[in-house]
Amino acid sequence: MDFIYANWPVLLTILVVFGALQGTCGFLVYVERKVCAYMQDRIGPNRVGPFGLLQVLADGLKFLLKEDIIPSHVDKVLFILAPCIAITTAMLAFAVVPFGAAEMPPQAPLPLNALASPQEADAYKSAMATYTSQMTTYQGNYQFMIAKNVDIGILFIFAVSSLAVYGIILGGWSANSKYSILGGLRSSAQIISYEIPLGLSILGIVMLTGSLNLEWIIGRQAETGVWNFAYQPLAFIIFMTASFAECNRLPFDLPECEQELVGGYHTEYNAMKLALFFIGEYCHMITTSFLMVILFFGGWHLPYLVTPESGWLIKLIVFAGKVTFFILFYMAIRWTLPRFRFDQLMALAWKVLIPLALINLVAVMVVMHLKLSPWLLLPVSLIALVGAGTMTAAEPEYRKPSPTTTV
Amino acid sequence: MSPEAAFDLSVYYPIFIFLGLLIAFCIGVMIAAHTIGPGRRSAVKLMPYESGMDPIGDARQRFDIKFYLVAIMFLVFDVELLFLYPWAVVAYREGGIPEVLQGPVFWSVLTFIALLLVAYIYDWRKGVFKWR
Repeated sequence: MDFIYANWPVLLTILVVFGALQGTCGFLVYVERKVCAYMQDRIGPNRVGPFGLLQVLADGLKFLLKEDIIPSHVDKVLFILAPCIAITTAMLAFAVVPFGAAEMPPQAPLPLNALASPQEADAYKSAMATYTSQMTTYQGNYQFMIAKNVDIGILFIFAVSSLAVYGIILGGWSANSKYSILGGLRSSAQIISYEIPLGLSILGIVMLTGSLNLEWIIGRQAETGVWNFAYQPLAFIIFMTASFAECNRLPFDLPECEQELVGGYHTEYNAMKLALFFIGEYCHMITTSFLMVILFFGGWHLPYLVTPESGWLIKLIVFAGKVTFFILFYMAIRWTLPRFRFDQLMALAWKVLIPLALINLVAVMVVMHLKLSPWLLLPVSLIALVGAGTMTAAEPEYRKPSPTTTV
Repeated sequence: MSPEAAFDLSVYYPIFIFLGLLIAFCIGVMIAAHTIGPGRRSAVKLMPYESGMDPIGDARQRFDIKFYLVAIMFLVFDVELLFLYPWAVVAYREGGIPEVLQGPVFWSVLTFIALLLVAYIYDWRKGVFKWR
């Protein structure tokens, strides 16, 4: 009881985030159907409740009330475990993501070396005292995230969300259906391929900020007033492409392309287990939208309008607005672009995105080392992007599809 | 500040609580779905789906070597990435790598990336990235 009383803000945040994520995922299914309908000049779901808004509830109930079939040929433990892994990893990654106003946690003063003079020792002592008092205020203030001041923020998200591949490969393998196993294999190959450009594209931002802490990354952008996107558009495009692939969203939804593989790795799943896979997928989409906003578009920051001194409500609204924009962007892309062929998909990751990410990394290294202005990265990014585009377009392999079969 | 004080496990407690909640949710949902839904099983319903045909053979067969190659390449690049992260954090921040060491560290990281590039070009020439 004492524990709950002492930590009620954290516990409340956890419950709210948990509920909000579930609710948003359900709601996003509805939004996706509506967006799809409008793009295809249809009306979309409009029967259940006003504007079809209660469709979410109807879908949820339907999933719960359907027969829960575990086919006779499956590896039961893994079959049940797979959707649980998918949803747990997708939601757990959200634990370190700030979703509203979050201050920069104070930095501890630099450690004292053994040869320090008494003056230095005194300066250290007073710096330590200010740090401690700042830390007390920081701890006292409410921050809009589950776990605040996690120094390994980005690393934690990547570590947890790369575990999601286990959910997919186990789901595909345990079901013992040919469609599932093909979908599972393709998906795991795709996800591990795109994880590398995803990780490499972040390195430039980590170097600019000097921290993996997400509050710090937002704070630095708010301090300087320039979003990272302005310095590194190339990194953003690599990151965005890779996160589309990580979420199995449409230009890259090879694992579950309905026309070839029925349902891909979740062919044999139904009822609530299928719903868990879907919630996991939408959760992943929400998390990557948040990451795009935090890493490249300054989180709650809007130049001249929303500064660190603004109230928490406006920060929350701005943050939510930016994230909504990216989620809608995901959906619009889904109904705009055709699906890649599998060899094109792998070639894009290995032959285009990874070299581009390395060029970006080396460019940031050189700029930081020679202490040049980070604005130099902008022309470098654009040249690399245009160069890669023209080189890819000139490649005869991508000009017209040949009738040979793919793997 | 000493390194021991820099790491505070209590920062991670909320994550553990969240993880506990998620696991409880998964177990609860699995039990609920299993008990609430109807249970009318039949031999055909429990059969693997194969476009309406009776399934031929086992699904867990051997698959293309390409998938293994991708896995190996992933390991190479991912380990490299893991080495670069700690460097990227301390490289240019205040109180990170001291001024004297910045030059040597810069060149060693460039060498590290160049070595990787050699392996990458070798793979490309050997056709690891060809998928058809």
